[in-house]
Amino acid sequence: MTCVEAGREPADTPSSDSPQQVLPYEAIRAIPVRHYGRWVAAVVVLALLGWLAYAFSQGDILWGTVGDRLFDHTVLQGVWHTILISVCSMAMGLVLGVLFAVMRLSKNPVTGAVAWLYIWFFRGTPVYVQLLMWFNLALIFHTINLMPLYKNDTTAVMTPFVAALLGLGLNEGAYMAEIVRAGIQSVDEGQSEASQALGMTGAQTMRRIVLPQAMRVIIPPTGNEFINMLKTSSLVSVVQYTELLRATSNIGNDTTAVMELYFVASVWYLVLTSVFSVGQFYMERRYARGSQRSLPKTPWQRVRDNLSTVRRPKVA
Amino acid sequence: MSTSSNGAKLVKSGAEPMVRAEAVHKSFGAAHILKGIDLEVAPREVFCLIGPSGSGKSTFLRCVNHLEQISAGRLWVDGELIGYREHGGRLHELRPREVAAKRRDIGMVFQRFNLFPHLTAIENVMEGPVQVRRESKAVARERAQRLLDRVGLADKAASFPSQLSGGQQQRVAIARALAMEPKLMLFDEPTSALDPELVGDVLDVMRSLAEDGMTMIVVTHEMGFAREVGDALVFMDDGQVVESGHPRDVLSRPQHERTKAFLSKVL
Repeated sequence: MTCVEAGREPADTPSSDSPQQVLPYEAIRAIPVRHYGRWVAAVVVLALLGWLAYAFSQGDILWGTVGDRLFDHTVLQGVWHTILISVCSMAMGLVLGVLFAVMRLSKNPVTGAVAWLYIWFFRGTPVYVQLLMWFNLALIFHTINLMPLYKNDTTAVMTPFVAALLGLGLNEGAYMAEIVRAGIQSVDEGQSEASQALGMTGAQTMRRIVLPQAMRVIIPPTGNEFINMLKTSSLVSVVQYTELLRATSNIGNDTTAVMELYFVASVWYLVLTSVFSVGQFYMERRYARGSQRSLPKTPWQRVRDNLSTVRRPKVA
Repeated sequence: MSTSSNGAKLVKSGAEPMVRAEAVHKSFGAAHILKGIDLEVAPREVFCLIGPSGSGKSTFLRCVNHLEQISAGRLWVDGELIGYREHGGRLHELRPREVAAKRRDIGMVFQRFNLFPHLTAIENVMEGPVQVRRESKAVARERAQRLLDRVGLADKAASFPSQLSGGQQQRVAIARALAMEPKLMLFDEPTSALDPELVGDVLDVMRSLAEDGMTMIVVTHEMGFAREVGDALVFMDDGQVVESGHPRDVLSRPQHERTKAFLSKVL
């Protein structure tokens, strides 16, 4: 090991002692190429953008209403409901996804086939249709009867929230199952061999060795799925669940400020997706542990680094 | 001419062998990889397996800790049948949990190291004791640190595998296997994936293990190591033991044409 470390030493020493070093040559001073095309493109794009801004400023838009309604109690409740249904459905999708991925990869042909069937159905039909079917379940099953445990009218059980959760969660589970399966399969076979050679059981190998490594592959598309979920949750207005879109369009219809309230909804959707994108960055960073020699810097660390280079006194 | 290098069988009498193979066959579908292996590995012995690639050396090694299931014959480790339980004159497959329990006493070192990349060096070494033997983290950490010290990597405890050289990774992998305090260590071409200059450190660790009396089966192409450290050597070709005996005898005075042809290429 000593020879490896010794080999690195000389490479580091030059260039690091003085920031304002004298180069051992005279740099070439040539006339740079003028990129006229770039200038033209920039002007055209800016002109189009200006025109768009002008159009919106001239449109019959009550900007004041947008501002006023942004923190309206009903709107905020809609935002909360959107977060609630998205997080709950995603959690349900994750649990189902891991379950069905493991089922699909199992050696048992029955569980494998059942998992395939589940994925086939819920991925193959529109989530909109699935939502409507859950909501109207009472048309075919009047009561829900889990023999010894529970019995009730279907209409009493199938509240808008439950219908939305089942529709979104079961659909998401099918997509997550494929994502988790890809993640598990991406882990090298040697990893489970090594853990089995230590005497770990199959479940321990999955939990301690395979899944943590699969997370690196699973997280980016899962973040994508979650951002999709935040937006797809707007569909659940068809099952009478008052999430963000339904809350805003209700106000819009009552006050005739239809477009203004859609703007309000869009602002909130952008806020939500932006916040969760940041969360995803930190989550990916957490699971990059060990896969890269050094972790990517957080935006905050990058800002701090830049500031410190600005502040560093110039030593002559 | 020594008496031990004249037959394809290497069956000793005396103390209970650590590993005993009787007519072990292994097929993958139609491919017949092991064609009746008979051998014995005595306790505290360094047993080297050499042979061309595809001869079945690695497959045999993987059968010993049941990463592969044998197709025919019998295989014992420390007097216990591997993979099966004999009951009422019939063989019963072991449950996965029972197989896992038997592997605890057999350490394995892989050609490609197979360290857990999401864990630091010391966490790799602690994983077995903490998860399988249910040791407390403090106890496991202390022993892991001592093992890393032993393989010359005390200062690399907090490094991730990706931050270590191949030779360092393989030494962590040896420490990881030793942490389970095995009675038998299997080495599957432990230096084949290493840069030549890093091979020596790994062989030094293996040599010191041998000096401490660890029973080791080593699949290797390092003839120098086999000659110096090995107590017994088997040359395999095409799924069969062609020649066996003391490494010095087999390597210097091979009896079979196939052994001679192989050694003339690698020595």
